[in-house]
Amino acid sequence: MGDAKKQMTYDAIVIGSGISGGWAAKELCEKGLKTLVLERGRDVRHVTDYPTGMMNPWEFEHRNQLPLEIKQQNPIISKCYAFYEGTTHFFVKDAEHPYVQEKPFDWIRGYQVGGKSLMWARQTQRWSEYDFQGPARDGFAVDWPIRYADIAPWYSYVEKFAGISGNKDGLPQLPDGEFLPPHEWNCVEKHFSQQMAKHYKGGRPVIMGRAAHITQPKPIHLQQGRAQCQRREICERGCPYGGYFSSNSSTIPWAMKTGKMTLRPHSVVHSIIYDEQKGRATGVRVIDAETKQMTEFYARIIFVNAAALNTNLILLNSTSNRFPNGLGNDNGLLGKYVAFHNYRARVWAEYDGMLDSTTEGKRPNSPYIPRFRNVFKQETDFLRGYAAGFGAGRGSHTKQDGIGADLKASLLKPILGGWYVGSHMMGETIPKETNFVALDPNQKDPFGIPQLRVSVDYDDNDEKMVKDYLAQMTEMFTVAGFKNIQSSDSKQAPGLDIHEMGGVRMGKDPKTSLLNKWNQLHACKNVFVTDGACMTSTSTQNPSLTYMALTARAVDYAVKEMKKNLI
Amino acid sequence: MKRRNALKSVALGVGALAGLPAWANGWNRDTVRQTTPLLSPRQDQLLAEIAEAIIPTTDTPGAKELGVHTFIQKMVADCYEPKAQATFSKGLETLEATAQRTLGKSFAAADAAQRTSLLKTLETDAEAKGFFQMVKNLTIRGYLTSEYVMTNLTGFQMAPGYYKGCVPVKKS
Repeated sequence: MGDAKKQMTYDAIVIGSGISGGWAAKELCEKGLKTLVLERGRDVRHVTDYPTGMMNPWEFEHRNQLPLEIKQQNPIISKCYAFYEGTTHFFVKDAEHPYVQEKPFDWIRGYQVGGKSLMWARQTQRWSEYDFQGPARDGFAVDWPIRYADIAPWYSYVEKFAGISGNKDGLPQLPDGEFLPPHEWNCVEKHFSQQMAKHYKGGRPVIMGRAAHITQPKPIHLQQGRAQCQRREICERGCPYGGYFSSNSSTIPWAMKTGKMTLRPHSVVHSIIYDEQKGRATGVRVIDAETKQMTEFYARIIFVNAAALNTNLILLNSTSNRFPNGLGNDNGLLGKYVAFHNYRARVWAEYDGMLDSTTEGKRPNSPYIPRFRNVFKQETDFLRGYAAGFGAGRGSHTKQDGIGADLKASLLKPILGGWYVGSHMMGETIPKETNFVALDPNQKDPFGIPQLRVSVDYDDNDEKMVKDYLAQMTEMFTVAGFKNIQSSDSKQAPGLDIHEMGGVRMGKDPKTSLLNKWNQLHACKNVFVTDGACMTSTSTQNPSLTYMALTARAVDYAVKEMKKNLI
Repeated sequence: MKRRNALKSVALGVGALAGLPAWANGWNRDTVRQTTPLLSPRQDQLLAEIAEAIIPTTDTPGAKELGVHTFIQKMVADCYEPKAQATFSKGLETLEATAQRTLGKSFAAADAAQRTSLLKTLETDAEAKGFFQMVKNLTIRGYLTSEYVMTNLTGFQMAPGYYKGCVPVKKS
C-alpha cells in the first residue's frame, strides 16, 4: 500500500455519529481499533456548541415561537414538536436536503455530530421476548434471528454506561434494566396507576417511564464528565450538564479520549466501495460537504449508522458489478419492509379530585403504559398493539379583564387550575414490502447523490389500532374518574413519529433478509448495520436503546471475527 | 434586559434572520442583521405608551420600562401574517387619529384616564377590536415573560433540580 493510501486507511469506519454511530465509535475505539467516524453535518462539541443551552426564556426574542419566515420555508420540520426558536440549529431545514415523497412522509433529521441524540425524547424501554417473537407468532415480516436472551446482557451493558432511570416493575412484557432511581409520580398519575391495577387486575400496568437521565450519577457517569440531571426540561437544546445521554456528552468524547478516533464532520458518504476481487467492502467514498470534493477512505470493517433511511440510501447507492442493485442486495429486498410507529391518536381529560394537592419543580419524563393488547396471545381483530405515554399536571391561569393597575395585579396572582391528564399512542406498524424507500431515478441532492424516494403509508391494521386505542384509553380514563374526556386522531403522516425503521432487516435467511443475527450483511461480511434500518419489526418501545445494545453486541462480534481473521 | 441589546432589537424587523449561517437560524441576537423596522420611531413610542396604559408602573415597573413594546414589535414583524401586521399598523394610526380628533392632542400627551378611556373605545369598536386584543395579548405575554417579572415576581426556576408530585396547595 502506498503512503497516500495508508494515510486514508483505518481499522474501522463508522458512518454517522448519532445514537448508534456514537456507540459503534466508543466500542471500536475501546477495543483498540483505529476508527474513522464520518459525520455529514458540522461538529457539535459538548457544552460549547449548545448556543441556547443556558438561555433563559426572556433571552429568546420571540420567546421560542418560530418566526413566520422559518415556518413558511420549512413546512415539514416545523411540524416537529421539538423544533422551536431555541433548537432550529439542530434540525435539517426542508430546502437543504430534499427528498421525494411518493406518499406523505415527514422526514425529521438532525445533520450534525450527535445527530438526533441531541434532541431525542430519551425514553428507553427494553424489548421483551414477546416483541422478538412477534413476527413469527403473528405471521408477518420474517422471524427475528435473535431473542431477548441474546440482547439482554447488551441492554445491561449500554444502560450502565448511558445512565437509565427507572423502577424495577417486574413485567415480563417490559423487562427491567440497570436502573438509576426512577422519576417521581404525581398524585393523579399514582391514582390512575392504582385504579388501573385494581380494575384490570394487573392486565394494564402503568409505570414510570424509563428514561436516559442521570437521576443519581454513578462513578462511570462522573468519569464521562456528566452530572446529575438538573430538571430543566430543555433537553433538546443540548445539556451542558450531560444530564441526559447523547453521543455528544457521552460516547463521542469517550471514544475521543482513547486516542483512536478520528472524527470527520462535513463528510457526506456517497457509497461504500466493494472490491470484486477481494469479495469485500474496502472503504467508503466521501463528498466533503464544504468543498464538494470526493475522497476515499479505507478500512477493514464498516459500520453503517447513518440513521434508518439514510443507511438505506447509502447501501442502495453502493452499486458494483457484483451488487448492481445496492450493497448486499441479492434478494431485491433492500429498502423494503420499512415501518414506523403510529403516533396519531391522543386522549385527554380533566380530573376534579385531589384539588388540595399540586406539583412543584420539573420532571423531564412521564409515566408509561406498556403494550397490553395482544401481548401474551392474539385477542383483537388487528395485529400487535400500542404502548402509550401518560401524564397529569395542574396548570394555572390569570384573570385578564380590563387594563391598567387592576389587570397588572391580577396577572401576578395566578389561579391554580384543576388537574388535566393526557395520553398519546405509540402503535406498532407491520412492515410490508409495499412500504419502501428507493433511489429516485432522476432527482439528485445538492451533492449529486440520488434523492431518496419514500413510499410509506398506514394500512387497515393501523386504522383499527387507532380506534382501539381511542376506545380503550377512553374506558381507562372513565374508570379512573376523569371527566370531560376528549380525543383526537391527527392523521399525521408517517415520519413525524421519528421512529422510521427497517429496509435492511435482520433475519435468518439470506433469501429474505439483508442482515444476519450479528447485524452483518449476509452477502458482504465486513459491513454491519446497527441503526434503525436493521429492524425486522418495530414493536412499540422507543427504539434507541435497542439500537445501542445491538451496536455494542455487533462490535463485540465484529472485532472477535477480525481477530480470527474471518472478516 | 441589557439596554444596549434592547436598543438594538428595536431596530430589527422582517427578514432579520436571513443573514445568519444556515445552522444558526433564529437565535443569535448579536449577529442578526439590522433591517428596516416595522414601525417608525413615533409609532414605536406610541406603542410603548399603549403597553404602559395596559400594564402601568405601580410599585413595580410597567410595560414601557420593561421594553414590552420592543417585544411586541418584534413578534408582529417576525411571527405574524401580513394581514395581522396591517391590522397592527392601521390600529396604531386609528388610535392616534382618534386621540387627535377627540382630545386635540396625541395619545402620548394624554393623561392616564384619557388613555384608558381611548383604549376602552377600541375594545368595543368592531374594526379596532382585533388590534386592541392583539396588543393587549402581546403586552401580557411580553410582560409575564420579561426577565424582571420572571425573576422578581413569578419565581421562575431555570433548574429546580427536583420534582415533587404531591404537595399541598399553598393558601394565598
